[in-house]
Amino acid sequence: MIWHPYLRDLADWRTRAVFERNAQVYLRNWRTAFLPPALEPIVSLLAFGIGLGAYVGAMKWQGRSVDYISYMAPGLIAQTVFATPFFESLYSSYVRMFYQKTWDGILATQVELRHIVWGEITWASARGVMNAGIVCVVLAVANALGVLHIHTQWLVALPLIGFLAGWCFAAFGLCFTAIVPSIDHMNYPMFLVGIPLGLVSNTYFPVDIHNVWLSAAMHANPIYHLAELYRALLIGDGPDVHLLWLAGTSAGWLLIFGTAAQVLVHRRVLGD
Amino acid sequence: MSDILVARGLVKSYGDKRVVDGLDLNLGAGSVLGLLGPNGAGKTTTLRMLYGFAEPDAGEIRYDGKLLSEHRDELKGWIGVCTQHDTLDHDFSVEQNLRVYASYFRPKLPDVNRRVAELLDTFGLREFAKQPPRELSGGFQRRLMIARSIVQQPRVLFMDEPTTGLDPAARVDVWRLVASLRAQGMAIVLTTHYMDEAERLSDAITVLSRGKAVARGTPREILGEVLGEHVAVVEATDADADALQAWVRAHTGNPPARVLDEWQIPLSGSQLAAFSQAFAHCRFTVRQPTLDDLFLRLAIDVQHDTEESR
Repeated sequence: MIWHPYLRDLADWRTRAVFERNAQVYLRNWRTAFLPPALEPIVSLLAFGIGLGAYVGAMKWQGRSVDYISYMAPGLIAQTVFATPFFESLYSSYVRMFYQKTWDGILATQVELRHIVWGEITWASARGVMNAGIVCVVLAVANALGVLHIHTQWLVALPLIGFLAGWCFAAFGLCFTAIVPSIDHMNYPMFLVGIPLGLVSNTYFPVDIHNVWLSAAMHANPIYHLAELYRALLIGDGPDVHLLWLAGTSAGWLLIFGTAAQVLVHRRVLGD
Repeated sequence: MSDILVARGLVKSYGDKRVVDGLDLNLGAGSVLGLLGPNGAGKTTTLRMLYGFAEPDAGEIRYDGKLLSEHRDELKGWIGVCTQHDTLDHDFSVEQNLRVYASYFRPKLPDVNRRVAELLDTFGLREFAKQPPRELSGGFQRRLMIARSIVQQPRVLFMDEPTTGLDPAARVDVWRLVASLRAQGMAIVLTTHYMDEAERLSDAITVLSRGKAVARGTPREILGEVLGEHVAVVEATDADADALQAWVRAHTGNPPARVLDEWQIPLSGSQLAAFSQAFAHCRFTVRQPTLDDLFLRLAIDVQHDTEESR
């Protein structure tokens, strides 16, 4: 049973020790770590929601008319839940692994590489939850000001729903961390994978697909289900089938990319 | 003295290259084993296997009779590792480095605060406790590396080239620390390129060449066994070069080592007598062999074999 050792390692004190190490560093630098994710949704809301939204006007979503900024707001949270863990495990983990040799220091203790991998993945996902929480606060304020119209009672739950999805996005990012030859090569996963994937997942605009294969690919993409689930919660009638799709695709991605990350990081760091 | 560490038949290959080839090692509690050898001899790979960083392809490693492969979690708590390269956590202060590192071990230290304070005092790091490690000099960074590697009070400490890159005063500091750790009963395995360091610190030395142990014992025993009792130092002149090389090859089986303007020729007592007769017209001095001579010999052997295999 392949999940058994994964679950055991995830619950292990050593995975927690790696998580706590990263959390301590974050708390030391929380002012600088807090500001960019707080500003980014404000900039996006202004640029896309108010700026672009003025040109787009109202749009159709599930047969109802929605103003663009309200359509985009749930996508903004979904994009944060995806992008934060992906880029955290891509860049920050790479810096810890390659430049700071933090992992080498930890490996000289009772902590094994598999715990470092799970610790990094869990931490990156937690960063996604924190940043999504900041976005939710910004959206709540915008809603109170009448800039957009969403069901704010669900905002508290959204970051937590994104936690499992964040794990799979972090594992996805860590696979690239393990294979890029240098930090300069991070542009490939960032611009050719991360950014396009975020954009074609119904985050900022609906992607209307009639091709059966592309549609299947879209349904295998947890970001798409995350964006649509958040939309159902914030501007729709509550949880829908995307919740099940999200759970299934996230678990699938975590199994595939979690395993790949373990194998690739092991090869990169220990050379075996 | 019972052995705290016993390794038998260690083998490790990377691709087609066998880096460690059937190596045996023993280490007693409270003793220091120096692992020497030229670059590529397999020292670091051996160390990495011993502290669980790399899996041996064959052979076994036991700590106090327990197999590392079967009791890995427990035994890694017995091991302290001070790597050659800086692996300090520069996101934290000096004090936090010790504290966070302690969190990577179980069982938890009964009193982390006391242990951290003790290490800060012992290693002279108290005044830098709140500073980030990058603000420390190389010598103090090395002190912190060593302090951190023993935070959980290990029974065996591995030190990979602990004084490389340090100035002479800082090297002496590290020597003092190593001596005091040994006096406390800690078993230590160290690799070094500095022969004086190996001679001063090690109770026993194992010399590696191409992944195999080519000599073991105290420094004096090894030199006598491998090199002989004397080293003749001859001023090199082109006129004598061919004859001298031919003579040394014929009588010792090895080529002489050329160091700048000198030939350095390890010889036994009888070989020295024969050499004196054969080269009576040459000016030469005689001195005792050192581990530097051994290193040169091993490096020449490796070069010789490499050329022959081409």
